[in-house]
Amino acid sequence: MTAVFATMRTAFAEAWANRTAFWTQLAAMALNDIVWVVFWVLFFGKVGTVAGWDRSRVLLLLAVITTGAGIVLGLLSNARRIGQLVADGGIDAALALPVRTLPFLLVRRVDAVNFGDMLFGVTLFVVACSPTPQRAALYVIGSAAGALVLAGFLVLVGSIAFFTRRSEVGDLGFQAVLLLASYPVDIFSGITKTLLYTAIPAAFVSAVPAKLIDHVTPGRLAELLAAAAVFSCAAVVVFTMGLRRYTSSAIWTRA
Amino acid sequence: MSAWAPAAARSASRRAARDPIAVAVAVGFYAIVATVISTLWRTAATAHGGQVAGYTGVQLTWYLYFAEAAVTALQQRQIEMTGDDIVSGAIAVEMLRPVSVVGLRLATEFGRCLPRLAACTAIGLTLAWITSGPPVEVAALLLALPSLLLAVACNLAAQHAFAGAAFWVRDARSAWFLYQKLVFLLGAMLIPAEALPGWLHSAALALPFLAMAYVPARLAAGHLEPQLLLLQMGWLVVLGAAAVAVFAAGERRLQVVGG
Repeated sequence: MTAVFATMRTAFAEAWANRTAFWTQLAAMALNDIVWVVFWVLFFGKVGTVAGWDRSRVLLLLAVITTGAGIVLGLLSNARRIGQLVADGGIDAALALPVRTLPFLLVRRVDAVNFGDMLFGVTLFVVACSPTPQRAALYVIGSAAGALVLAGFLVLVGSIAFFTRRSEVGDLGFQAVLLLASYPVDIFSGITKTLLYTAIPAAFVSAVPAKLIDHVTPGRLAELLAAAAVFSCAAVVVFTMGLRRYTSSAIWTRA
Repeated sequence: MSAWAPAAARSASRRAARDPIAVAVAVGFYAIVATVISTLWRTAATAHGGQVAGYTGVQLTWYLYFAEAAVTALQQRQIEMTGDDIVSGAIAVEMLRPVSVVGLRLATEFGRCLPRLAACTAIGLTLAWITSGPPVEVAALLLALPSLLLAVACNLAAQHAFAGAAFWVRDARSAWFLYQKLVFLLGAMLIPAEALPGWLHSAALALPFLAMAYVPARLAAGHLEPQLLLLQMGWLVVLGAAAVAVFAAGERRLQVVGG
């Protein structure tokens, strides 16, 4: 654990070294998120409600997903790059170290631009989502669980590269889960909706936590925590299985 | 531009087509994005008497598949990639060639986009037809096809003009985020221009972004308005001239810095 924290500290120092770039990227991402708020305000200004979702509920969904995605893509930045690292032979450096490979890879790189997401998510929740002590606690639990589902899914699809030696599935999975999690899940129906609760768990990244904050039930909370546990465990298992097949490409610098 | 521009575009197009997995990933991403956003708007139209901002659910579906195709056909991070080439000095090598740097880049990128554009359009046509029904006006839909090419050309020219700022600010990494959002909102990619509030609609009309997404989308939605193609051509001339001017000024500055 000490090695993992030390690695994370180094990654932070690396990102913080160029402070102008750090703050510029953070502000750019926050501005990017503000555009989505403008979109949803304009959209619901025009249509009122859609499939039970209105402006305030979608802003809550946006707060949850930006917080969760900010945690994963900011603090565990390599989660989205597992496929590329594997396909390029870029995890060699990690294998030579006396630490567990997956935790090391995940904390090795932090991405300043996604701290903007995290900061934006927290601000949006405080400003636009009627925070109370209970809602704030559920927001923390929901965002953390959503982040676990997202990190687990990204590692899972990235690890497919161990078996296929191509990283495109991981890239597409990354784009798909974030995109689908950015919209109210109830606009979908049938097979698509089922997929969002299973193969591409976008519903657990944003919509389920947002519903939990609005209306907490033990069943919904258990469902979310179970999804977080399942995707985290599946990620570790598939990554470990894939790592046994990994062959070096003698690249030492990309992890 | 003489014969080298079409030759560069053809060559880039052939190279891009030889990587079917990259094209398939771009098309897969396009299919997901366009399906999600069109489902959202179609659901909204159904819930509100069948129309939003003067578009029916069917029209909105065709609108959004074409708006997305016009934008997804391009490299998302084109501004960042061009900016990196400027900042790293890699562009200095291109200045040794006896052709315009930005001209060759525009021709090459345009060619590279074509396989993705063709694939996205084919998939978009199929999905729009399956999810909502046949096109509202076939003649307008046919006009949307050349309009897609003009939209991509306008977008590329604007992105190069935007990325040229890297000659002065030495960083274009965050700029693509902001540019992309301008196309999303002021280009009416996510929300039809007619649904924008008055002040934002006026701003969109005064800026070039509508030429990059709205025009092919509006035509595909069944509005037979050929004058929109003239609007795109006008903006293409303006944006192309802006890109050439920015690069010409920047290249002089790069020589001073040393490349």
